[in-house]
Amino acid sequence: MDIPLAHYLILSGLMFSIGLAGVLIRKNIIVVFMCLEMMLSAANISLVAFSRANGVNGVPVYDAQVLALFVVAIAAAEVAIGLALIVAMFRARRTVSSAALNTLKED
Amino acid sequence: MDFAISSIIFYAFAAMALICACCVIFASNPVTSAMSMALCFAATAGILFGLGAQFLGIVQIIVYAGAILVLFLFVVMMLDIKTEEEDNSFSVFSSLLRMAPGVLVAGVFGALVFLAAIKLPGATDWNNPLCQAWNSMSELCVGKQEAAPQTEVSDFGGALPALNPAAAAKVLNPAISEEEAAAATSMPDTKLLGQKLFSQYNIAFVILSFALLAGTVGAVALSRKIRKD
Repeated sequence: MDIPLAHYLILSGLMFSIGLAGVLIRKNIIVVFMCLEMMLSAANISLVAFSRANGVNGVPVYDAQVLALFVVAIAAAEVAIGLALIVAMFRARRTVSSAALNTLKED
Repeated sequence: MDFAISSIIFYAFAAMALICACCVIFASNPVTSAMSMALCFAATAGILFGLGAQFLGIVQIIVYAGAILVLFLFVVMMLDIKTEEEDNSFSVFSSLLRMAPGVLVAGVFGALVFLAAIKLPGATDWNNPLCQAWNSMSELCVGKQEAAPQTEVSDFGGALPALNPAAAAKVLNPAISEEEAAAATSMPDTKLLGQKLFSQYNIAFVILSFALLAGTVGAVALSRKIRKD
């Protein structure tokens, strides 16, 4: 095993920031949502890498992996709700562009 | 220069994950984005396998690349979204200007994480080409630095500790003898995870299942057609 913990953290941080960039620059809400999922899975890499690095006597800390499992489950629930919201929004406005959500903006 | 096959696989998967993540952002067609996301999650699962978390890797493939991706594709195809054509009406300059704040914020965040992680002891003194390139580059930029005085012992420096199946077998079943523990050859990853999940975190697990139930009910309630009368 030749890879230090730092490289897992760098990978996770870069993936998270790519997802953050996607959330900030894309207008299509579905793609924004995909980027959110990517950010969650990037966080999972960090959790599992720390579980491995913090292990005692070669046994990883499984609390972190349980937390990662919870993150995956919550992500699944979030996707179900979020996509239902997107479908409801598409029914109301016939578009999935976040630029169309400007009802509260005074003009 | 010698480096293990496992590290080559890690860097290949890491590069694949990052490239596919960029494809998700820059693809104009949402279906292309979804497919790149699947590849990104597959690469992430490969990295988790490399970390010895086989169960989480499988969960990553089944839940993310299976269930969530199919849900996304369903919605993309159900809504029949045309690819974004707004870019044609603007110049390249104005679209770059529109992207600049997001790229700036994400770039600053990524640089912060990168610089914090690269400071970890042992992050750059490993015998692989990436680290050597980073070392020579930082020497070029800031000159040769003497190592900072080690004030406290860090647990997170150096390579990750090797997995120890014998110790894991002992954790799983403290009653077994040393010889039986030493005979264990593979890591009982799923058993250890399940032991934690169903004892210490059992209540959290039950609450989590209620969250999933609430999600399902909410999805049905939100996507139901609302009758006007």
